[in-house]
Amino acid sequence: MSPELLAIHDFISECLPFDQLPNDVITQVLSDIEVSYHSKGNQFGQQDLEGGLRIVRSGAAELRSSDDLLLDRLSEGDSFNLMGLNDEQPGITATLIEDALLYTLPEIPYQKLRSEYRAFDRFFSSQRSRRLRRAARYEPAPNDMMRPISDLMSTELLSVEPLTSIQKTAMLMSSSRFSSILVMENQQLLGIVTDRDIRSRAVAEGMDLQQPINTIMTTDPLTLAPDLSMFDATLFMTQRSIHHIPIMDNGKVVGIITASDLMLARKDDPVFLVQHIGRQTSTLELKNVVASMPDLLVQWVKSGVRSNQLSHVLTALSDAITVRLIELAIEKLGPAPVPFAWLGFGSQGRKEQLLGADQDNALLISDDLKPEHQAWFADLAKFVCDGLNTCGYVYCPGNIMATNDDLRLPLKEWLKTVERWMRTPTERAVMEVSIFFDIRTIYGDKTLTNTLQTQMLKHTQSNSIFLAALAENVLSVHPPMGIFRRFVVEQNGEHAHELNLKKRGVIPIIDIVRIHALANGLFEVNTIDRLRALVDCKAMTIVDSRNIQDALQLLMQLRLNHQAQDIVQGKAPSNYINPASLSKIVSKQLKDTFGIVKDAQQGIKTKYRQGLG
Amino acid sequence: MLWLQFFWLRGQQFFYQRRLEQSRHGNLLLDCWHKSFNPFNKNSFIDCNDAEFLVADLEMSSLDANEGEILSIGWVIIKQGKIELSSGEHHLFKTKKSVGQSATIHNLRDCELDQGRNMMFVVERFLQLAAGKVLVFHHSPLDMAYLNKASQELFSSPMLLPIVDTMEIEKKRLLRTQDHIKPGELRLAECRSRYNLPAYPAHNALMDSLSAAELLLAQLDHKGKKVPLTDVLQLF
Repeated sequence: MSPELLAIHDFISECLPFDQLPNDVITQVLSDIEVSYHSKGNQFGQQDLEGGLRIVRSGAAELRSSDDLLLDRLSEGDSFNLMGLNDEQPGITATLIEDALLYTLPEIPYQKLRSEYRAFDRFFSSQRSRRLRRAARYEPAPNDMMRPISDLMSTELLSVEPLTSIQKTAMLMSSSRFSSILVMENQQLLGIVTDRDIRSRAVAEGMDLQQPINTIMTTDPLTLAPDLSMFDATLFMTQRSIHHIPIMDNGKVVGIITASDLMLARKDDPVFLVQHIGRQTSTLELKNVVASMPDLLVQWVKSGVRSNQLSHVLTALSDAITVRLIELAIEKLGPAPVPFAWLGFGSQGRKEQLLGADQDNALLISDDLKPEHQAWFADLAKFVCDGLNTCGYVYCPGNIMATNDDLRLPLKEWLKTVERWMRTPTERAVMEVSIFFDIRTIYGDKTLTNTLQTQMLKHTQSNSIFLAALAENVLSVHPPMGIFRRFVVEQNGEHAHELNLKKRGVIPIIDIVRIHALANGLFEVNTIDRLRALVDCKAMTIVDSRNIQDALQLLMQLRLNHQAQDIVQGKAPSNYINPASLSKIVSKQLKDTFGIVKDAQQGIKTKYRQGLG
Repeated sequence: MLWLQFFWLRGQQFFYQRRLEQSRHGNLLLDCWHKSFNPFNKNSFIDCNDAEFLVADLEMSSLDANEGEILSIGWVIIKQGKIELSSGEHHLFKTKKSVGQSATIHNLRDCELDQGRNMMFVVERFLQLAAGKVLVFHHSPLDMAYLNKASQELFSSPMLLPIVDTMEIEKKRLLRTQDHIKPGELRLAECRSRYNLPAYPAHNALMDSLSAAELLLAQLDHKGKKVPLTDVLQLF
């Protein structure tokens, strides 16, 4: 073996478990290796068992069991031997999830190494059990609906004797916050009573609430076995419209399952994810829920969820997290001394968040605020902002956060602040305050926000100098198109030859639409909503409005697909794309998009900077 | 077109055949010619996966074949869509002149090259392996210019063998989606990164030939399941 292949020697000797082998053995290994290339989607199954040990040199692969359970995800330096894996559990396949270069050590030299070196052998003999442990830790089964209901049922059972009074039963249920209760005698299940039974069979009928509970219970309720799949259980319950079912094993009640348990288990569904967030009891638990978001994003993008729906969902999730954090803070700090509103600005305000958004928030407090209440709100802000940061919504680099003393103010101070902005609308100042106009109540008293927003819009509508300053900002960013309609890309740095979609496309559109909205006193903050409202109030033609909507959606979609790709490749999601990587049709659409942005800028220039040059 | 190219190549081979027969080791090159692509032979129309490739790379002391010398050559063999690392070979040449400033690129110093092999030995080995295989280079004109020069000196005939050029394949592919090639886009490392191939250290003939071989596998894989050899073959 030539010393020239040192780079490959070095690579192999760093792979587990080759690091256990002496140097000269690795040199020998090298001469047995075959190199092959396989594109994404390629699968190694039963017919490739004798392929020896495959080492991933670049790219990534997934190992799945015969029932499609993900066992392991392999990347550079990992290796797999299908024969060995299948001996332990037949039906394991390997699928490439990225284009991959594989170094293959054929079966015979591979087995020889295993018989000669114990450490090398041990690594592979214990491989599967370790894989399963890892799989359980980091990925739920791909099809949650096939999980047994025993995974999900609550084993904490609430039961009463059949002769307990209805009222006493109801009290027991409300104190333990259960929506159903089992009626048992001598470990035997006699019946079940739900909230609805008490309402419809007792209260609505005007029954004496001191009657025993067995007069209104459902006798001999339907039960299910614990090994039934979630799918079957859901079907069973929806077909019969039952919401609570006891689970019986060998004639004994072992648990109970409710319709909402089944819904919550569907973790990949955004609606349930939002509910799930509402049930977490600490910042750390919230963080764990959020940790799955990048994977979910990829799933949603793949299943064809459009960008505007997706940013809506992502915003709903960050809203839910913020709300839950505020609730947790209130549990800790005691109730709020005076009414307040937690405000979201920027992309959260506009419901246009994607992954990797930072926080932009503030506190708007009722004018009844007393100096001694300040500490409570400061603590609230600290708890929530710290929590958001833990959950991945990093601190705002511009310090637009409720922890900032200037952004935790009573309504009258906020109004004064707005007036100050309006009085001296320099371009720099205007740029800094523009995100405050995308304002939304995340939690608390909406009337406070409404008063503030009304005041803001009253000012902006009449203040043409302010609008002109905003317009100047919009005009300072040029769409990245050179003459002859070629893309202008970054010249150097980390993103050389790439294009920043957010800075050059998305932000200018948002800014343009904001000016129109502020000039016309619109309360909408979502850009698409604003565009629709502008048509309704006849401030924009339908064609212009739709063009801009399409342009924005195309840019957001591109950005989203690209971020999903980044995540799959294990990179941090970025806003940069390389125009050379786009297909001809997308590249043409992108050029058209920037053309629309340019036209819209021209419109801003004539409308708001007339005579200002 | 293929036929026309073939007859042109055959014509040239015919012209030089006499000289080879007279030359001492000329039968080596003749053997390569006989086993190379021939449209009259049905066995020549195979898929790339069934073809065998000899992927080679040369390091030289200058970009101009008239003034430079070959310093080293490296090659690997592709069989059935796989590169066998054991087939990799690397040979240094005894040079006539000092390598001069070019040492900064290929890291070969005069003292190492003094222990190098003579040209005949390596070309003999190269042609033995090349018989029945398709030669592959990344940017073939440069490497072929040097090989033809060596061949002229030894056998009084150019190589006249069909080749595959991974740079040409890449150029065609890129021009399908873009109007022109930007500078640097066809460099070996740059091409490799488009196929998610790892970064290898460059400017060693063996490592570079392995790099090109992997690139070829990736290119063929992206072209589809069965790529006819004639799709990528250049007859001159």
